[in-house]
Amino acid sequence: MRNLALGIVLGLAGPSVAQAQSAQGDLAVTIYNNDLALIQDTRTLNLAAGRSRVEFPDVSAQIRPETVTLSATGAGIVEQNFDYDLLSPDKLMDKAVGQTVTVVRVNPATGAETRETAQVLANNGGTIVRIGDRIEVLGNYGARVVFPSLPPNLRANPTLSVTLNTTSGGSRPVTLNYLSRGFGWKADYVALFDEQAGKIDVQGWITLTNNSGTTFRNAKTLLVAGAVGQANGSNYGSMQQQTRGPSGNRPGTERSDRERLGDFYVYPIAGRTTIANAQQKQVSFLDVAGVPAAKGYFFRNDWLGRQDDPISCDTVLRFSASREGGLGDALPAGIIRVYMRDARGQPQFIGENGIDHTPMGSTLAVKTGEAFDVKVQPTVEKRERINTDEWEQSSRYRVTERGKTSEVIIDRTKTYWRTSMSYKITNARPQTVSVEVVQGGLDNWWHDTRVPNESIKGSQRSADERVWMVTVPANGETVLTAQFDTRY
Amino acid sequence: MFNSRQVLRRLSTGVACAAIILSTASPAATPVVISPAPDNVAVTIYRAPNRSLGGAMDTDWLEGYALITEKRTIDLPAGPATIRFEGVAGGMLPESSIARGLPAGIREKNLDADLLSPGNLYARSLGRPVIVRRQHAKSGKTTEERGIIRSGPEGSVLLQTREGFEAANCGPLNETLVYSRLPEGLSARPTLSIETEAPSAAKVTISLSYLAWGFDWQANYVVRMREGGKRADLAAWVTLASSDPMSFVDADTAVVGGEVNREDDDPYDGGRAEELSFHCFFTPVSVPALAMAAPSDGIGEIVVTAMKRAELKVDAPVMVTAEGLGDLKLYHVPVRTTVASNAQKQVAMFEKRNIKVAIVYTADVYDGGPANVRLTLRTQNKKEDGLGIALPAGPFAVFEPLRNEQMLIGEGGIRDSAIGQQVEAVIAAPTQVRVQGNDITASEDVKRGRWRDFELSVSNANRWPITFEGDLHVNDDEKVERTSARMIQKNGRPLWKAQVPANSIATLRYRVTQIEAE
Repeated sequence: MRNLALGIVLGLAGPSVAQAQSAQGDLAVTIYNNDLALIQDTRTLNLAAGRSRVEFPDVSAQIRPETVTLSATGAGIVEQNFDYDLLSPDKLMDKAVGQTVTVVRVNPATGAETRETAQVLANNGGTIVRIGDRIEVLGNYGARVVFPSLPPNLRANPTLSVTLNTTSGGSRPVTLNYLSRGFGWKADYVALFDEQAGKIDVQGWITLTNNSGTTFRNAKTLLVAGAVGQANGSNYGSMQQQTRGPSGNRPGTERSDRERLGDFYVYPIAGRTTIANAQQKQVSFLDVAGVPAAKGYFFRNDWLGRQDDPISCDTVLRFSASREGGLGDALPAGIIRVYMRDARGQPQFIGENGIDHTPMGSTLAVKTGEAFDVKVQPTVEKRERINTDEWEQSSRYRVTERGKTSEVIIDRTKTYWRTSMSYKITNARPQTVSVEVVQGGLDNWWHDTRVPNESIKGSQRSADERVWMVTVPANGETVLTAQFDTRY
Repeated sequence: MFNSRQVLRRLSTGVACAAIILSTASPAATPVVISPAPDNVAVTIYRAPNRSLGGAMDTDWLEGYALITEKRTIDLPAGPATIRFEGVAGGMLPESSIARGLPAGIREKNLDADLLSPGNLYARSLGRPVIVRRQHAKSGKTTEERGIIRSGPEGSVLLQTREGFEAANCGPLNETLVYSRLPEGLSARPTLSIETEAPSAAKVTISLSYLAWGFDWQANYVVRMREGGKRADLAAWVTLASSDPMSFVDADTAVVGGEVNREDDDPYDGGRAEELSFHCFFTPVSVPALAMAAPSDGIGEIVVTAMKRAELKVDAPVMVTAEGLGDLKLYHVPVRTTVASNAQKQVAMFEKRNIKVAIVYTADVYDGGPANVRLTLRTQNKKEDGLGIALPAGPFAVFEPLRNEQMLIGEGGIRDSAIGQQVEAVIAAPTQVRVQGNDITASEDVKRGRWRDFELSVSNANRWPITFEGDLHVNDDEKVERTSARMIQKNGRPLWKAQVPANSIATLRYRVTQIEAE
């Protein structure tokens, strides 16, 4: 009967088999982006008057014990202990030195068991016992050893215990606060792009993960969009000249109506939810339709970059997170997955990209993929050395001769390299496209670069980058040429 | 030990394929609707990012992915309910899942990956009774005894028995643990579920779509050269493969060409299946996990739809249809087909006859040579040349007739090639065409400029004339002058294009001069 019943349960492996009783109380879990959660666990405990030791089972297995705080009315903390000396067979044998154990031997032929009482003398790389008046080393698998008791202080799992000094006995709520690792969350966005209408529908999901080893039932859950305690990163990145992606990324300044915690937005999950161990949970937080969006093409060439085969331009999707004409919300960091309907109306995936925490009012330009039909072939047509009529002062010094001081200044002409570039942009699509072409590497710390000729009027995006908006006719090509005079 | 609730659950799952299970014992429990399999499924396969040019798919390690869209019909009860989706792809990326068609919103989506494994089963049974089964190695005699688990899985297996405390599997007997019930919340495989709240009971068809790892596809091109080497027939195939444990039967199948941006997500590891190892006093004795997935031994089946490559005729019965999908290309298989687990499949993409091609011997020449010669097949992707169709990246196989048979003469690969683009595939390293280079003289007078003179020669041992293209690479501060033949400017570099007659040598003299300021 039991086997049959076991088979039934195995066959289902359903969600509600043998409800385990958890020692957790009323739970509130606040999850941050960076592998961190604050857990508040209010349990009702009956405390005896005077000094008592209380164990807290079912705390997170990845608890940071140094962050534990406990509050209970009429009780003061004497000490907090986190015992992580785990019970294991070799520790059991270690702690049994000097004690009496039972050795059970089995006759291999008959299967008959004989029991003997033995005193453990030592356990140093081998267990030495005294049985009656004999002393022997216990072989690895020669006998079963039965211990009379488990040693104190060794635990099955790491255990948090608090010793309290209580003024009056009785039942009361005890609140335990601690930080735990093993949690995280991010946003996942689903964007359905309608190219003809120039609109996107966006759904935002919060994806939270619990790998803490512990399930938290019926918890009030709050998600904080930010990584706390990581502000000590260096500013090393600002030493590099920035290469930027497609234009159209601008941080916003609008304020979302969402609740805030300091500098961070918080996203509460409605109602109570169970965050199971090894679970990935998604909760919707954003659902907007018909937001204007536009597709564009982007290509950035490195300094002296050249290609023997044309390479695809990036396809860039631009939209706004503003209240007016945008998603109208602050966007927590995550991944935007973009879909488009195919000829039969079925949504197909066309690419994804990550976004950072984005304030409301920002505009975004995200690369979704590379265009099959819009390509660029950059070519270094010519490099030549030119001398200009300009002079630069290279050194200046004074000479004092018999009390007379004269000044010597040495000038020399500036030498430039003139680089002639061509960018052949081809478009095999049946529509005219506009491609944002960027040439980078124009500054190189010299701050002395000129553009004497260009076939299309460009603009200097920064000292390092020049950008052209190139219109390419349907099934056609446009060649952009530009010359750069640089000191290198 | 087992109450009527579990029996009820079992009965109700047996009745219908999409059954509603009413859990009456606990008031908080919501009804669970199990959707065991999709009614129909669509699979769109994307190429592995950053595949090498012309490289074949590694069927043991497919790094592409697929968008899987499933239609599922479920009976939704009124009020809050949990829908569990079974039979989804093993490589599913749960965060990418989208469900459409539910009458009310989705409260939350969960992927439970706390798996039923020996380690988990042990960990969840702490302090609970189990049965220790002891088997004598020689006699095979088995005894059973009740025990209680007293240690966590980190430490390993300590039991309390009637006699006292002991470590399991640490004596002369072969000991195993037998559990009498399952702990809550463990599932056989990672399971996606959705919490929903319908205003009224209804039969709904929902569309569930998600991305999954372990798929790939490529275009395969077969070029059959015609006599004379100026014209060829081109047949293209779509080859798709799946290493997913799930087979998608009668799927609406498509593949997408072009580069799709992907964030570098680790493929989902499918949950941790923890083993349970028995530690002894001295040396740990590891017991292999009982329920390990059978290792995949690669592709078990290769299916070629339409016809085998060698027998390809002009009118292949089934060909994929091509359409634009934003800036990508979508190739749709017009008939439903099964994307089987651990299998590869080919469908014809197109067949173009009598296209204009050129066989060119090319070489990159640095510092006057010598250089390696490449046999290059070149065509213009234009309608007037017989082509004019978007060509997704893939390997090229080139055949030439010899004694009425098609013989393989070269293999190469192309990148994604748009209409209007020149298409080039390096297909072989020729043996009968060599490039030699010689330094002739160099300037001795530094004041009058630094230069070096070179002589480049191409020898053709074939019985037919060839076209040779030598691409002269010089440094940015050098230029090529005084060439003995007219040069073409290509890709910003001088290109020497020469017709080399049969069994003869062509020679180019040129000077490389250092660029000085004017």
